[in-house]
Amino acid sequence: MKITIVALICILFGKVTFAQQDLLSFDEHNKYIYYQVADVPGLSVDTLHTRGINFLKAYYPKIKLKPVADGKNIAAEGKFLSYGGTSVLKHEKGEVTFTLNIEFKDQKYRFWLTDFVFTPYQRDRYGNFVPQQGIDIPLENAASKFEKKDVDAYLDETGAFCKQFGDRLKQFILNVPKKEEVVKKVVTDKW
Amino acid sequence: MNKKLLLLIFAVSAFCLSSQAQDTIKTTGDAPLVLSGSVDTYFKTDFSGHGNIPTSFANENSSISIGMIDLGLKKSVGKASFVGELSFGPRGQEQSLPDGSNKADPIYTPGVSSYHIQNLYVSYNVTDKFNLTGGYMSTFIGYEVISPAANFNYSTSYLFTNGPFQNAGFKATYTFSDKVSLMAGIFNDYWNTYQSLGGRVNTFGAQLTVTPVKNWTAYLNVAAGPQSGTEFDLTTAYQITTAFKLGLNYADFSAPTGLSGGFSGVALYPQLAVSKVVTLGLRGEYFTTKTGTWTTTAGPAPGDSVTGLTATANIKTGPLTLIPEIRLDNSSKNTMFTDGGGLPTSSATQFVLAAVYAF
Repeated sequence: MKITIVALICILFGKVTFAQQDLLSFDEHNKYIYYQVADVPGLSVDTLHTRGINFLKAYYPKIKLKPVADGKNIAAEGKFLSYGGTSVLKHEKGEVTFTLNIEFKDQKYRFWLTDFVFTPYQRDRYGNFVPQQGIDIPLENAASKFEKKDVDAYLDETGAFCKQFGDRLKQFILNVPKKEEVVKKVVTDKW
Repeated sequence: MNKKLLLLIFAVSAFCLSSQAQDTIKTTGDAPLVLSGSVDTYFKTDFSGHGNIPTSFANENSSISIGMIDLGLKKSVGKASFVGELSFGPRGQEQSLPDGSNKADPIYTPGVSSYHIQNLYVSYNVTDKFNLTGGYMSTFIGYEVISPAANFNYSTSYLFTNGPFQNAGFKATYTFSDKVSLMAGIFNDYWNTYQSLGGRVNTFGAQLTVTPVKNWTAYLNVAAGPQSGTEFDLTTAYQITTAFKLGLNYADFSAPTGLSGGFSGVALYPQLAVSKVVTLGLRGEYFTTKTGTWTTTAGPAPGDSVTGLTATANIKTGPLTLIPEIRLDNSSKNTMFTDGGGLPTSSATQFVLAAVYAF
C-alpha cells in the first residue's frame, strides 16, 4: 500500500519537475537568452552561412532577415504563437517575438535568440484571437503583468521553441539525410 | 531491497515520462481546433425600483440573472478556415438574435430564427494579403459587441443597441500594408437575420482600417441598403501606454427607404489599468434620435437626446472577471424614464454586478 501511494506521488510530481523554461538563461543585460555554440568539423564559413540562410527559408519562411554589416552572419526577427499550456482544448493565448543572431566561423557557428516580448491575444467579434494592440510585455517583466501559472507556461513554450529551433538548425547544417522508412511489402506469389 | 528497487524504478519512470511529455509541446504545424467562449451572470438594480434604461442586455431588474453560454469553434488548415459560434440564454437568444421560438420577441417573425448562431462563416486566404469570407457574421459596425468577454462595460451603449448585430453576406478584404486594409462586401437586405427577408442581397458594406501610429487603429465603416438604411461609423482605439487606453465611437444612421429620420451619437471610452488585476473605465455617450418617422429600437423619441455616463471596473482573476458598474442616463425631455412613483423623469440610475468567465 505504501509503495502504491509513493509510486502515485512520483508519477504525479514527475509531470511538473522538468520545465522547458530551464533552457533559457539570463545574459549580461538580465534578458532571457537561448545561446548555443556548435562545432562543425570540415565546413567552411561560407558553406555554413549558405546553409544557415537556406535553413531559415525552408523552416521559418516568415522570419524577417535584417541587414548585417558583414555578409558572414545572420540577424533576424521572428515570432511564434503561444497556446499557454497543454490543455486539450486550447487557443492562442498570445505571440512571442524574438531576435535571432547566427554567427559563423570556419568549422563552427553560434546562435542566440533573445529579446522575447509577449503580446497577449483576445477574441474579436468574429471569433478569432488577435493581438491586443499596445500590450507588449518583455518576458523578463511578465510576472508583474500575468499570473505565475501563465508566465511559467509562456517561458516553457519559449524554451521549447528555442530547443526545437536549435535542433533543426543543427540537423540542417550537418545535412543529415532523413532516414528512409522501410516499407514492408508482402510477397503474394510464393506461399 | 525489492521494495526499494521498485520505488526507484517508479521515480525514474516518472522523470522520464515528464521530460517526454514536455518535449511534445508543439510549436509549429497546423493550428489546433479552437474551442473558446464565455458564460456570464449578473445582478442589476435600477434605483427607481423598476427597469428604466432600455439598452441591450442586463434587462432583468432586482434579479440575479443570466446572460448566456457562448461557445465558439474555429479551425484553420492551410488557407481555409471556419468559425462557428453558438449562444444559449437570454443574451445569446432573443436579446441578440432573431429567435423563432420566442413569440414575445419584439422582432419575432414566424419561421425566422438564427438557430442560436452568432457566427457561422468560412474564410479563404487567396494570398497573404487577400481574404474572402462568406456566411453569417458579427457586424463590422460599432465599438461594442455581443460577447461580454469582449466588452469592457457590462451594459451597452445606445449606439450598439440601435445598430446592427449581425450581417449575413460575402466580403473581400485586402491588406495593403500593416497600416492600411480595405474590406468591401455585399450583405442581405436586413440586419441580424441569417436569411434575406425580401429575396435581396442589396446592402453594401465597407470598412477601411488604418493604423496611423503604432497601437492606434481606426475603422471607418459604412453599411448602406434600401431596407437596412445607411450607417456611417467611426470606431477607434488607442493604447496610449500599456496602462491607458482611449476608445471612441461615432455613428450616424439614416432610416431605410420609405422612412425618415435615424440616429447619431458619439461615445468615449477611457480605461486605466491601475494594477495587474484591476482596470477602471468610463463610458460617456451622447445619443440623439433624429426627427422623422423612424423610431429607435431603444432610446429617446424622435427629436430627443440622451446622455449616459457609466463607470465600470474589471477585476480579473485568471479567466474570471468581476464587473461592478454604475450608470447614470439623463434625457433631454422628461419622458424617457419613470421614477419610483411611476412619474416621468429625465434621469435613471442603475447598478450592475456581473461575473464573466471566458475560456
